[in-house]
Amino acid sequence: MPKHLPDLNSLISHIALYNNENAYEKLFKSLFPSLYRFCFYLLKSRELAEEVASDVMITLWRDREKLAEVRNIKVYAFVIARNLSLNVLNKHSKQEWVSLDDIEFEIVLDNLNPEQILINDELKKKLEVATEKLPSQCKLVFKLIKEDGLSYKETASILNISPKTVDAHLVTAIKKMSNVLKAEFNLM
Amino acid sequence: MYKNRIIELLARKLAGEATKSELEELNDLITRYPDSVYYEEFLEQLWLNSDEQTDIPDVDQAYLAHTLKFRDEFEPKPQTNKIVGFRKYKSLIGIAAILLVIVSVSVFYFNRGHKFSPDTEIVAGKGIRKKIKLPDGTLVWLNSDSKLSYESDINQKEKRIVYLIGEAFFDVAHHKSHPFIVRTDKLCVKVLGTAFNIKAYPVDKKSEATLIRGSIELSVNDRSEQKIILSPSEKFALVEDKKVLHVKSDQAPDVPKDITLTIQHIVPVRIGENEYIEETSWRDSQLVFQNESLEDLKPKFERWFNVKVNFEAEKAKSYRFTGVFKNETIEETLKAMQLIKPFNFKLKEHDVIIY
Repeated sequence: MPKHLPDLNSLISHIALYNNENAYEKLFKSLFPSLYRFCFYLLKSRELAEEVASDVMITLWRDREKLAEVRNIKVYAFVIARNLSLNVLNKHSKQEWVSLDDIEFEIVLDNLNPEQILINDELKKKLEVATEKLPSQCKLVFKLIKEDGLSYKETASILNISPKTVDAHLVTAIKKMSNVLKAEFNLM
Repeated sequence: MYKNRIIELLARKLAGEATKSELEELNDLITRYPDSVYYEEFLEQLWLNSDEQTDIPDVDQAYLAHTLKFRDEFEPKPQTNKIVGFRKYKSLIGIAAILLVIVSVSVFYFNRGHKFSPDTEIVAGKGIRKKIKLPDGTLVWLNSDSKLSYESDINQKEKRIVYLIGEAFFDVAHHKSHPFIVRTDKLCVKVLGTAFNIKAYPVDKKSEATLIRGSIELSVNDRSEQKIILSPSEKFALVEDKKVLHVKSDQAPDVPKDITLTIQHIVPVRIGENEYIEETSWRDSQLVFQNESLEDLKPKFERWFNVKVNFEAEKAKSYRFTGVFKNETIEETLKAMQLIKPFNFKLKEHDVIIY
């Protein structure tokens, strides 16, 4: 869920100008969960994800003087996270080059309250199976927008694709889910 | 097919990217095809439930691990370490104690060498504008009738401090951990690497700081606890006026009564096809002013053309002008202005009389 974050820009000014560690701590606590989750999708390992997310944050701290010129810190941090994660994957894989498109991961639909809506385990499984075959970039778009509340534009610059493509990916993912729903409930 | 369109619009709505007309279209479609309400409900539920599968490590723990891992990157500060509860992390107290000693020794050491005694002075006389490069690589454009002083070994200092009387534009060279500080009579500006203009003529009631890019932090002298951070294209002005008894700006209630602080965006002066930024175009030898009375222009003209302006007609003082001059002499300038408002002038060697 998009959480309301403290004013990241004022935190950054404090970090860039005064080396303020308290501001850095706040920045860390606002960004770390999203970065960790994003790295986890890519790396499939808690330890690696935690390490990379921590490395992203220290990169921000090391380059703090330049932070004042960064326009969108969230996108900036996610792009660093993407690059560091791909570096890790490249190092660990026998393949010469890993691209975002080659990474496998699943959309997991969790924690639905059965009282709120009639979704049973079976339906959940069906939904997950249906989304499994989506291209990985499509799933990643779905996750970034849904989990981190990022905008089309932000998602586009993190994944290095156009906002139109982001829109298309999201529509595709939603469509797949709606098809399952349609069959299940005999909708039109 | 309407269903595809509904799904498409729903996706955008969930992402918060739907436009107003798309939302209207969606509502319209849903009323026409009531079945689609199920889709909406279902997808919204799905969307709102966050993915708990990747359980995120506790951020406090993560931050602690992070600061321990990269201990060397952070400046040791006793009060930050205090946050760490002490029973659990006894060893940290030891580290903190050692660091505290190091900090206090180094603070003592640096403070000794910190007296500001400028030994270099650069002066631009009236009618003269200068461009200088400081030893640290910072570029300074010094406007007429201004003085900049600094220490010649500025490059070896912990803080790069310069003292300014008058107006100057700074393009500060980026130096890791050596902040650049500009002091004037009334203001103090701290920067890392950025470009900005400061105007602080002792005769003017108003002191100004204008930021072009980067970020600066400024404080009013005698009130140094109150810091103001400027973003690009913002302009800070401090007006001292003994007659004003009440502070106008409500965001700064604890300012002395005779000071007004304002922050506003730079508004470029648009003349014909071109835009001019009044605050910085003097660097390109352009004199730019917008809707200013002749009385306000007097000090500007005196500095720019190195003349003395006297008024013999009260009425002329309140005429307002907007204009851009580049290489014109005072005579050409005033002649051009005569076309707009009726006034006469006499020109002696260094005196202008307006009547």
